[in-house]
Amino acid sequence: MRYRAAVALSDEQKAKFLGDVPLFAGISAESMSRLAAVAGEQDFTAGQFIVRQGQVGTGLYVIVDGSVQVVRGADDVLATLTAGDFFGELSVIDQQPRNASVQAAQPTTVLAVASWDLLALLEQDPALSLNLIKGLVVRVRAAGEQHRH
Amino acid sequence: MAMSQQELIDTLSGLALFADLSRPQVEAVAHKMAEESYPTGQRILRQGFTGTGFYVIVDGEVAVKIDGNEISRLGKGDFFGEMSVLLGEPPVADIVTTRQLRVLHLGGPELEGFLRDYPPVMLRMLKAVATRLRNANRWRS
Repeated sequence: MRYRAAVALSDEQKAKFLGDVPLFAGISAESMSRLAAVAGEQDFTAGQFIVRQGQVGTGLYVIVDGSVQVVRGADDVLATLTAGDFFGELSVIDQQPRNASVQAAQPTTVLAVASWDLLALLEQDPALSLNLIKGLVVRVRAAGEQHRH
Repeated sequence: MAMSQQELIDTLSGLALFADLSRPQVEAVAHKMAEESYPTGQRILRQGFTGTGFYVIVDGEVAVKIDGNEISRLGKGDFFGEMSVLLGEPPVADIVTTRQLRVLHLGGPELEGFLRDYPPVMLRMLKAVATRLRNANRWRS
């Protein structure tokens, strides 16, 4: 294991937190309990990289506490994400290298879901797939808007 | 150029979006979606106006145009219209046929239920949208 979980949140607490994250809205109780069981808590110090551009993704991350910066190249900050936001899903879905790095902007706690666990959940729960498609579509459209102006 | 139901099923089975479905499932999809044909130069989706549904290209080609400028083309097996339907917003591009087009059409309100009924199609769509996002991000950099 690359990271050692701090083991602070129980599965019940994880489920409660994840239940408030829009990405997981409407998923079945069974999927939620599976998700909570496989989601690992990880802590990062300010400045630490959570994912690195160019690496193939190993998971999806949901921010529990703190904030992160999405960075392309050396210092092109694309976005700042905070509690309830998620990242890393693209690389899980298409198995291509990460197109940006994500770096903790302050002490940050995330719940990490490994690729194979997420893919298994996507196959089993259409509500989760649908939420994820909608999340990606919003971003495709936002990227297109930026492209135009 | 009429195509028999059998030929249509064969064609659909070969499209990436439906590749993970069993033959009876593909038959059900063909039954569920309406087959439509459009002549060259026809505008199917109009930028800024209410979307009219989800389309899968069975044969032919369309141009994707934003403010009159062509940004890409879509062909057999590609699909369009799902972004506006899922977001509940008007299309951000025109879709115009560049030659005779055959599509399968599903009404907007039916799309979510359809995807829930066919999880393998949803996963294929998820991957396609992920690829589209990567390409969109590439333009930005």
